[in-house]
Amino acid sequence: MKNEPESGILTWGVIIVVTCLILYLFERVLWLVVPGLLALVGYYCLQPLVRALVRSGLKHRTAGRVVTGLLFLVTCLGVILLLSMATTRAAGWKAVTAHYVQGGLDFLGRTEAQLEAKLPLLKRSALVQSTPTNLNAAAENFADKYLGGLLLQIVYWLPSLLLVPYLTYFMLQDGNRFKKHLIRSVPNAFFEKTLLLFDRVDRSLRSFLIGMVKLTFLDTAFLGVGLWLLGISHSFLLGLIAAVLAWVPYAGSAVGCALVVMVAATDFPNDLATIYGCLVLFVCVRILDDFVFLPLTVGRSLRFHPVLSVSMLFLGATVAGLAGLLLVLPVMGVVAVIIETLGQILTDERLRKRYRHARQLQRTTVEVG
Amino acid sequence: MPLGKPIELRRTLEVMKSPFNFLRRSADDQRIANFKRLSLFRRLTARELRELDELLHARSYQKDEVIFDEGDTGLGLFIVVSGRVKIVSSHEALQRLAPEFGVGDYFGELALFEESQRTARAVALEPTQVLALFRTEFISLLERDRGIGVKILFELSRTVVRRSRKLLTSQPHLPTV
Repeated sequence: MKNEPESGILTWGVIIVVTCLILYLFERVLWLVVPGLLALVGYYCLQPLVRALVRSGLKHRTAGRVVTGLLFLVTCLGVILLLSMATTRAAGWKAVTAHYVQGGLDFLGRTEAQLEAKLPLLKRSALVQSTPTNLNAAAENFADKYLGGLLLQIVYWLPSLLLVPYLTYFMLQDGNRFKKHLIRSVPNAFFEKTLLLFDRVDRSLRSFLIGMVKLTFLDTAFLGVGLWLLGISHSFLLGLIAAVLAWVPYAGSAVGCALVVMVAATDFPNDLATIYGCLVLFVCVRILDDFVFLPLTVGRSLRFHPVLSVSMLFLGATVAGLAGLLLVLPVMGVVAVIIETLGQILTDERLRKRYRHARQLQRTTVEVG
Repeated sequence: MPLGKPIELRRTLEVMKSPFNFLRRSADDQRIANFKRLSLFRRLTARELRELDELLHARSYQKDEVIFDEGDTGLGLFIVVSGRVKIVSSHEALQRLAPEFGVGDYFGELALFEESQRTARAVALEPTQVLALFRTEFISLLERDRGIGVKILFELSRTVVRRSRKLLTSQPHLPTV
């Protein structure tokens, strides 16, 4: 809209409070929120396919059933495959994780020794002194402490993923009807502005969710190809994990980078050029991400000032843990759109006057009747 | 009364089901068939009307209720399904151009092309039902199905040309086209 007023401090205060409240509620029903969000991604990705089938002559209902039927089959196969992998290879994963953690810690130890040799001052620094002396024990501890829990979490979450095609089906079938039903309940005076609100929320969510899927695909492809050229094992899996970790702004990228370096240091313990090559590749992909891919895919609709983003990440993590860290920025983006537009609707004196007039007319009609 | 209980039960069930009425599809085909009678959509096929149905929003206005006001930001077009709508404008020429709209007519079409201020006030003269077509939804339709878009735009262009010609001929100091 043209000439829209800037949001004030009060509006931003309300946006932050509402975002925290929503995150708190989301954390309580995470088993439903995760499949719901994935279903929303599925809805936005599959909607063009359903429309194409409708244009080719199928009825909307049949097209929706065909597409979600396929999605259900793919999800079932994926869940079965992952469950069987998780149960048969769990023991192997522990050894592999310990192996890579060990490789990473060895690299840290070697770097420490080299730094000490070149800079004697570092011998007394807290950072160097805190490096674990028994690296083998540290690697084993890490695998024992975190891997079991991680695998249990995967097994716990897999069945709830079966909800995804079910929810996607209803979104594709009746999402538009539900939206129209909601809009119908809005008084006439606020109707056009409410349509604008729905359109903005829809656009923000669509650009964010579909953009993130495209961004993950691009990151995986670039990192995978780069790591493969450098000769790193499991390059595409590593690229995918780093791309998914990058969903958590700032911290996710750092963890992804550490992971890549850890694997490179294990695969090529004596080849510093390859390890630093991985580091350079990771930094290059992140720069490409920020300056090329992100504006092309997600756009700038849900981006905020870095200070606000970082503060909200801490707040999100405090309120709802890892889920809060992942969801805080998209939730705040949608809440900001809703509250800003609602503020414009409710403070528009012309619309309020028209609403009061319509109420008056209704009362008069009832009295005459 | 022995028959009282089943009737009450049926009524209760109807009330319980009423929030889910929007999920019923039986009325859809009839509503879509009615679209064909509107001049703006007369060139569309049944399949195209079904696709368009997703974008149309039905609204009901009471007698004397304002649909939009002069100076409002125009966001879409309105099609009269039943009732009559009066146009009141501070621009005399516009006031004379189309003082009233009846069933099948549409108004506010310029808002489909640009986000500008409404040049007139639209008021329901009697209980009126309209269909609203929102600009951004119309643009997304144009992007994904140009066939429907061309048919609607052709009808819109004809109306805009007709109204422009009427406006020009009503102004003696302007040349007619």
